[in-house]
Amino acid sequence: MSESTKNGNGAPHVELRRVTKRYGTVTAISDLSLTVEKGSFTALLGPSGCGKSTLLRMIAGLEEITAGQCFIDSVDVTDVPPAQRRIAMVFQSYALYPHMTVRQNIAFSLSVAGAPRKVQDERALEVARILQLEAYLDRRPAELSGGQRQRVAIGRALVRKPEVFLFDEPLSNLDAKLRVQMRLELAKLHADLRTTMIYVTHDQTEAMTLADRIVVLDKGTISQVGSPLELYNHPANKFVAAFIGSPSMNFLAADLAAAIDGVASVALQGGRTARARVRTGAKADGPVELGVRPEHLALVSPSDATAAFTGAVVIVERLGSATILYIDTPAGQLIVQGEGNLSAKPGETVGLALNETNVHLFGPSGAAL
Amino acid sequence: MDRREALSRGLGTMLRSKRSEYVTAAVLMAPFVVIYGVLFAYPTIKMVQLSFTNAPLIGPGKWAGLDNFWRLASDRLFSVAIWNTIYFVILSVIPSTLLALVVALGVNRLKGWMQSVVLAAFFLPYILPVSVVFRIWGWMLDKDFGIAQDAIAPFNNGQHLSIFRTIPLFMPAVALVTIWWLLGFNVLLFIAGLRKISSEIYEAASLDGASRWAQFRRITWPLIWPVTVLVFTIQLILQLKIFDQVYLFAQGGRVDATMVMVQYIFKQAFQMNRGGLASAASLVLFLLIVVLSVLEFQLLRARGAR
Amino acid sequence: MSASVETRLDAPAAPGSRRLARMRHFDLVGLCVTLATLALAILWAFPLYWGVVTTFKPEDEVVQPGVQLWPKDFTFENYGHVLLQTKIGIWYLNSLITSVAVTIIVLIMAAGAGYAISQLEFPGRRFFWWMILASFMVPIPALIVTHFLVLNQLNLINTLAGVVGPQLIAPVTVIIYKQFFDSVPKDFREAAVIDGATDFQLLFRIYLPMNWGITTALAIITFIGAWNLFLWPFIAVSSEDKMNITVGITQVHDAFGVQYARDLAVAMLAALPVAVVYLIFQRRVTQAIMLSAGIKG
Repeated sequence: MSESTKNGNGAPHVELRRVTKRYGTVTAISDLSLTVEKGSFTALLGPSGCGKSTLLRMIAGLEEITAGQCFIDSVDVTDVPPAQRRIAMVFQSYALYPHMTVRQNIAFSLSVAGAPRKVQDERALEVARILQLEAYLDRRPAELSGGQRQRVAIGRALVRKPEVFLFDEPLSNLDAKLRVQMRLELAKLHADLRTTMIYVTHDQTEAMTLADRIVVLDKGTISQVGSPLELYNHPANKFVAAFIGSPSMNFLAADLAAAIDGVASVALQGGRTARARVRTGAKADGPVELGVRPEHLALVSPSDATAAFTGAVVIVERLGSATILYIDTPAGQLIVQGEGNLSAKPGETVGLALNETNVHLFGPSGAAL
Repeated sequence: MDRREALSRGLGTMLRSKRSEYVTAAVLMAPFVVIYGVLFAYPTIKMVQLSFTNAPLIGPGKWAGLDNFWRLASDRLFSVAIWNTIYFVILSVIPSTLLALVVALGVNRLKGWMQSVVLAAFFLPYILPVSVVFRIWGWMLDKDFGIAQDAIAPFNNGQHLSIFRTIPLFMPAVALVTIWWLLGFNVLLFIAGLRKISSEIYEAASLDGASRWAQFRRITWPLIWPVTVLVFTIQLILQLKIFDQVYLFAQGGRVDATMVMVQYIFKQAFQMNRGGLASAASLVLFLLIVVLSVLEFQLLRARGAR
Repeated sequence: MSASVETRLDAPAAPGSRRLARMRHFDLVGLCVTLATLALAILWAFPLYWGVVTTFKPEDEVVQPGVQLWPKDFTFENYGHVLLQTKIGIWYLNSLITSVAVTIIVLIMAAGAGYAISQLEFPGRRFFWWMILASFMVPIPALIVTHFLVLNQLNLINTLAGVVGPQLIAPVTVIIYKQFFDSVPKDFREAAVIDGATDFQLLFRIYLPMNWGITTALAIITFIGAWNLFLWPFIAVSSEDKMNITVGITQVHDAFGVQYARDLAVAMLAALPVAVVYLIFQRRVTQAIMLSAGIKG
């Protein structure tokens, strides 16, 4: 399956062409093709084991590509060692050399290449300034906080002036608040440098906030590629629909009754019907699933004609900024997200209305209709 | 290399230039290969080969088939050596292991500098060269002026006793010296093992009303068993190779009566100039060690698993 | 065994509570155990103490009946005699040279081989690893005959180099290095590889420096082992000039019969360097012993 992240402006910066990755008898990735646009921030998003790290490492040269090719800037780098690919990588664990100072860590690649001390110090200082690490140049990693260590890891990558930055879940070792802060810094870094960045994460929030293009991976294949809003509004399949967005989308079993002019009506369990926009010519040879996001369900009075569902409120979660309701309906349990000061009580019977443009239908195979 | 092996070795199937890797490996392995080839592989093979010849220490010899082994079998001195070695092992390894555990239990209760000092008292002998140990104990047990004679005389009709010249006392005395010398090593290992046992287990047992002895039997002993086996195995293999102390203390006396296996090899090779025979004896020693240690390890491990 | 529980107990209703309550007041058994341990420690330290103290007594006091725990006549004359009249200086030098040589060569060999086996792919890797594990089983004393032969062929009998040779077989050191290198997280290797480091740079700038402690510990214990070795130097060397000190002190024979204090003095001098090394580097020695015992287990 081939998906492109091109905007149509010239050759892609990084391209994986029909790559397969096998470990002995286990095939992790099969015939996958992927392009990354120059200067873009591309996220490889997916759950554990989906192959996102493997893909990143293949681009880096840390994993051999069993079959297929990898191109960076139109040069075939499939057999080129990592050091010569003009890439730099930030590891999940940062991999900072504990016995070296921050300066030595940052300048390590220069020192390995035999650059004179003066050059090493200059470049390290330059990078430290960008990342606000000047004060820490002579400290050891053990003396730094998590956020500072991460910046040193980025610095070590920066100093090589790479063509492509690779990030392997760099924020997962940080606590929640720090994560938000570092996300901002990464976004700013990308805006400043405009270098191509490929970012692996399992956290859809990170992907949504940082990336211009997200590649969603599922068990070694690409599920969908698109901008964050594309994935949010037009998920190509149930996997993407469920993965993106928090709280995640509601899914209800349904039967396709008819599909006319891009609008389908489905029969829900419990007798109600609903309508959804679908592609022309969409067909289903089996039961379908109706998907609607919690934020797209509106509370109405149970007797309201527009109510697609009625049910009893089971649990109310108040976050302050929003309220999350768990509602039992004949069609299934639904999660609804509403305003922070929504008035609702457990046991109350409510009605839920939805807009057919915000309703998704997924066929038996999971693909969107 | 399959994925499991690659992952278990912590390597990805990383892109490497094979040729440069081989060259690097060759350079890094070269010292090892040379040393092991010349000083281990070749000597081991040569030993096996020599044991089937009648060679003197230096120089070639003729093929002699199993002659050397028949000679060993019928040589009384050889059986004495084997027996003495085993006798010595029994005398030194078992008490040394058990005593070390007891000492470790005691030392583990101490804290701070007192623990360090006491530990050093037990461990310092281990650092001493064997000849120094020989001198110290030769002096302590000296027939004429040794301080130990003051303790022995009352049991010997008021007379001094030459410990190392009294054949039945020789091995026990050397075993005692060896235990004094090496106990610290065992104590160290036991202490490390004891420290791994969480104190919470003891606290829970105390709350359940277990007496100290019950705590030892039911908690300490089973949990420390792997260390006990380890210590015992190490000492067993070590003492089967005994030479230094026995040789030193036997000097000037009836060396043959208290001979041990390595000593036998030494005598045949360097005093009787029988290289082939000595090699055969070496081979026997090697096999003895392998068999005994494997047997012992399996037995003790099986007992522990029970 | 914890004494802490006993002091933390409130009035328990559990069975055996009376016994526990009694123990809370006075831990008699515990005290006895501690005293016994201390007593045994004193007993254990006595022989060494006695040996040292004897070296500071003049010979005539040494052979007097009765026990003198401290010299009536404190003297250095034994040491004086030993230092001036025996070859102890040469023996010290020999021991120093051979021990340092063994230590350096073993460390270089073991770090190199340990790294190669741990991190590199090459034909024969597994074979060498098995050979190392196998060399455990073969007892070095069983090889004295063929070692003598080999070194004789190389004309190294009765030389310091010959003394060094067989001591270079140190499977434990290789195994320890290999295991340590194995445990370095592969992230470090990958990061350095991306940065362009060669394997040599990896070894000397990352793997070895990341934990100098191991190297120090191994160096110390190899040194002590080489210093204290008796059997092989005894076999390999016949002239007093080439002896190491451990062998040399057993060769001291006085024309005037047994001189206890002097024999002990020379022994104490032989032990002094390693004892000092131990007392200074106690932690490292302990660490090295744990490591090597872990291997054998």
